[in-house]
Amino acid sequence: MSDFLKDRLTVSNDTRHLLAVRDFISRMARHGELAAEEVHKIILAIDEAVTNIIEHGYNKGEKGTIELEAEWEGDKFQVVIRDSARVFNPESIPAPDMGEHVKAGRKKGLGLFLMRQIMDEVRYRYKDGVQNELTLVKHARAKE
Amino acid sequence: MSGFRIQKEKLPGGVVLLGVKGFLDAHTFEQLEREFNNTFDAGSYRLIVDLSGLDYISSAGAGVFIEAIGVAQENEGNIVLIRPGPNVKEVFDLLGLSQIFIFKDTRDEAMKSLARVGA
Repeated sequence: MSDFLKDRLTVSNDTRHLLAVRDFISRMARHGELAAEEVHKIILAIDEAVTNIIEHGYNKGEKGTIELEAEWEGDKFQVVIRDSARVFNPESIPAPDMGEHVKAGRKKGLGLFLMRQIMDEVRYRYKDGVQNELTLVKHARAKE
Repeated sequence: MSGFRIQKEKLPGGVVLLGVKGFLDAHTFEQLEREFNNTFDAGSYRLIVDLSGLDYISSAGAGVFIEAIGVAQENEGNIVLIRPGPNVKEVFDLLGLSQIFIFKDTRDEAMKSLARVGA
């Protein structure tokens, strides 16, 4: 596939916009050669990333924006998420032992776990003095 | 419009059925959390949750179930989930929750399963 497709969505840091985020990712992800269940999982991973920024990045009551840039390049679907919330590097959080985590009734960290499970790459970068930039990549594999 | 709805029904033997519909995410999970808490406050710890109308669940929604099953089991109850769609079941699978929750295909099967718990 040689298509190149790119689009952007900017939302404020309010969970009411998660529906719009999911619609945007759904529309973009469907352009490639991904099976429907893979599209669903990618939507989930991006929802989790945006939720983390809203809930843990920005302070309560603080107004901020979250910019999503989704693109297909060949068989690579990439979503870059930028925000100006406090520095948060998900790479610094170790992967939890999910069995123990759940048995103990802990809810935190589930979103990050899902992002890592679903996406082929999860990369974080802090652009000096400006913003957090989280890049999530999924490679399309041939449909069965 | 929240995009998430809950229907509550009392079944024989003190079992409570919650039917959830729509999108369960970081915007809507508190509705379900409140409903579980109200149910527990009323002394009911044996619940069936019908997931057939649920279009989407994220970890915020799954977290509510993790907390709730802990409370239910501590009080000699349980939560049985019925009829999840494939996308919803997938999230439970990804999080390893399918080994913790009992899934059944029908309300009757769920009732039988709960009859063995703390009755």
